[in-house]
Amino acid sequence: MWKTDSSGASRTEDAVMQFLPPCQIRCPINEDIQRTNVLMSLLPEDPGQAKDGIIQIGDYLYEKNPFFTVCGYICGLCENDCNYKTRGGAIKRRLLKRFLSDTYTPYLSQKKPLEVTKDKGKVAVIGGGPGGLMCAYELSRRGYKATVFDSNEKLGGAVRYIPEYRLPEDVMDAVVDNLVRIVGIEVKLNAKVGEGGLTLQKLRDEGYKAFFVATGTPYARPLTFGTEKVEGQDLDGVMYGLKLLWDANRGEVPSDLYKGKDVVVIGGGNVAFDVARTARRLGGDVTVVALEVMDKASKDALPADVEELEGAREEGIRIIPSRGVRRISKANGKLNLDCPLCTSVFDEKGFNPQFECADCIPLDADVVLVTIGQMGDRAFLQNEGLLNDAGRLQADPVDLQGRVPDVFIGGDVRRIGFLADAMHEGVEAAESIDRYLSGIDLKSGRAREYGPYDAPYRSSYKEEPKHKWVPADQRLNFNMFEQGLTLQEAIEEARRCITCGPCISCKACVSVGIQEELTPAQVDEDLCCGCKMCVYVCNYDAAGLKEVEGKIVSFTDELKCKSCGMCVAACPSGARSLAGDRTPARIEAVYGALR
Amino acid sequence: MADGEPRLVCFSCNFGWGYLADRNALASQVKNWIPVVCTGKIDITHVLDAFKAGADGVLILGCPEGECHFQDGNIECKKKVFLLGKLLEDYGIEKDRLRIELSSDPDGSKLPQIVKQMTESIARLGPVKKVEAPSKVA
Repeated sequence: MWKTDSSGASRTEDAVMQFLPPCQIRCPINEDIQRTNVLMSLLPEDPGQAKDGIIQIGDYLYEKNPFFTVCGYICGLCENDCNYKTRGGAIKRRLLKRFLSDTYTPYLSQKKPLEVTKDKGKVAVIGGGPGGLMCAYELSRRGYKATVFDSNEKLGGAVRYIPEYRLPEDVMDAVVDNLVRIVGIEVKLNAKVGEGGLTLQKLRDEGYKAFFVATGTPYARPLTFGTEKVEGQDLDGVMYGLKLLWDANRGEVPSDLYKGKDVVVIGGGNVAFDVARTARRLGGDVTVVALEVMDKASKDALPADVEELEGAREEGIRIIPSRGVRRISKANGKLNLDCPLCTSVFDEKGFNPQFECADCIPLDADVVLVTIGQMGDRAFLQNEGLLNDAGRLQADPVDLQGRVPDVFIGGDVRRIGFLADAMHEGVEAAESIDRYLSGIDLKSGRAREYGPYDAPYRSSYKEEPKHKWVPADQRLNFNMFEQGLTLQEAIEEARRCITCGPCISCKACVSVGIQEELTPAQVDEDLCCGCKMCVYVCNYDAAGLKEVEGKIVSFTDELKCKSCGMCVAACPSGARSLAGDRTPARIEAVYGALR
Repeated sequence: MADGEPRLVCFSCNFGWGYLADRNALASQVKNWIPVVCTGKIDITHVLDAFKAGADGVLILGCPEGECHFQDGNIECKKKVFLLGKLLEDYGIEKDRLRIELSSDPDGSKLPQIVKQMTESIARLGPVKKVEAPSKVA
């Protein structure tokens, strides 16, 4: 549709400090948010005509982020730092990507495979979640033969726990199946490295030259009170919430599993609420018990997202804050929980919950779902020599190299984070492995610093669109309850983006032909009278004043200038012009013909 | 104008008008067309020079209020058009010869029509009177 040139248009040089809009800094993989927002705002309003453009934008995003369609359902970290957040509401970037996914997901099976010569050697990726897959993707593109070993019967890692009402399974299936096909990743499923004689040494003997360990945190953390494991976790009816999520996604639970049952979920994070809302959809009468408090401004705030809390409450889930569970017992066919008051969760030592045991309430339940966190496979890490003397996993924070030089480690197993964090580490690990196998220094130029831009000034801001959720009483099923954006809504929302970031990191207008090239403003210091009209008129704070040999003149911050020409029009002395601008010549041609 | 059609100079902003169209096709339909990246870039001298060069009217097409890609360029232009209108009147040039329309037209289908409409209303005004000294100080 467009004659866009995506090759290197927004790839900037390695600078010490890179200026980007805050959304792109917050994104762990620095996605080209601004550029693609602008492109989306320029889509035609007719869906048939828009399809080409959507696929073009999708192809561009796919290069750096083959999981972008999944992000459209479960990410949105960028929105937390969006400058519009304090001016009417963050741009709904996640919904914009979900909109792209509506067209791009069906297209994925037609996307042509990449033709790369894989002659740089074999690398083994242990763990087929987003971290491992991104590493395999990057390595494949660079010419390595990547093999992913996953202990499950399906790739996807932790994403496979996310309930269907937040992420339909076919979106993830399409991403994973096609990613493997498009870059040619070899996959070994039901292959748990660390079991049945499958060790890293065995893989070395088979010719694998380096490893990325991204085994994640597949084990549920058992409930403890203080340092003691809580009694009663092996009682009938007590289960780890993670298992419920797994079974529900496999379609292995009857839809009325918890009908007529009182379900208590212990935990206050997003996973606990996934479990609670899943249990609710299986018919249960659900209560969430958490250490934390409801007040989002507190240091001890419930970690779950505001939308999860809102959705859960609408669905009739009760939340009991500030309570721990010190004992689970059984009496008269019901499970009983002892819940002392939690007076503080975090202090200067970190996670260090304090309790007032005299204030203890009982809770009854038929089912208890423990969802207080997850752990990695320590046995595997220990056996491979990856734990240090203090028993901690050792991985360099910059290059992710482990205690064993050919082993690199990232994702949740190294540090629990979001989907995009794991993906970022997969990419960094691929870079590290490439350098390691090429004999290049692992660290030079890796630590990037970013400087955010504030929003440009404008005279009016627009409110964010309200979220469209199916009414709560119609939500007790596993269909998506959040409605996505229509084409018209997507164009409008993308248009709301005020493009805070510098032109050099975007250039959407140039690639679409709206601007022939970037033409930053220049000042003729002899003509400039220092009146400051340009400073007043520039919405981007790109015009400033400086002193040159005793005279006050204006100058342009080229990193902030958007080549719009407002300052040129405002200057009473004619001291400003746009470098390389062909508009004056065009005007002269037209007027010349009139005369 | 003199004999024949009135001559209209048309500025249009690239973020709101015709960005989905074939620009060459549009250029062949609209004479004296000057696409700019933002109407905020239009200088008052551009408008005055147009009349000096012999234009019978100037049409400026910008984005709807609140929609400017460069934040407030369209509003700045609107302010200039308002003040310019008063200035032109003092020189005997009817302010209706200068018009700004803030709307959006991604495929450029409205552009030629609006130009045609304004050309017709300019025709009713006749040719621009030779510029004289102002009859009153603005």
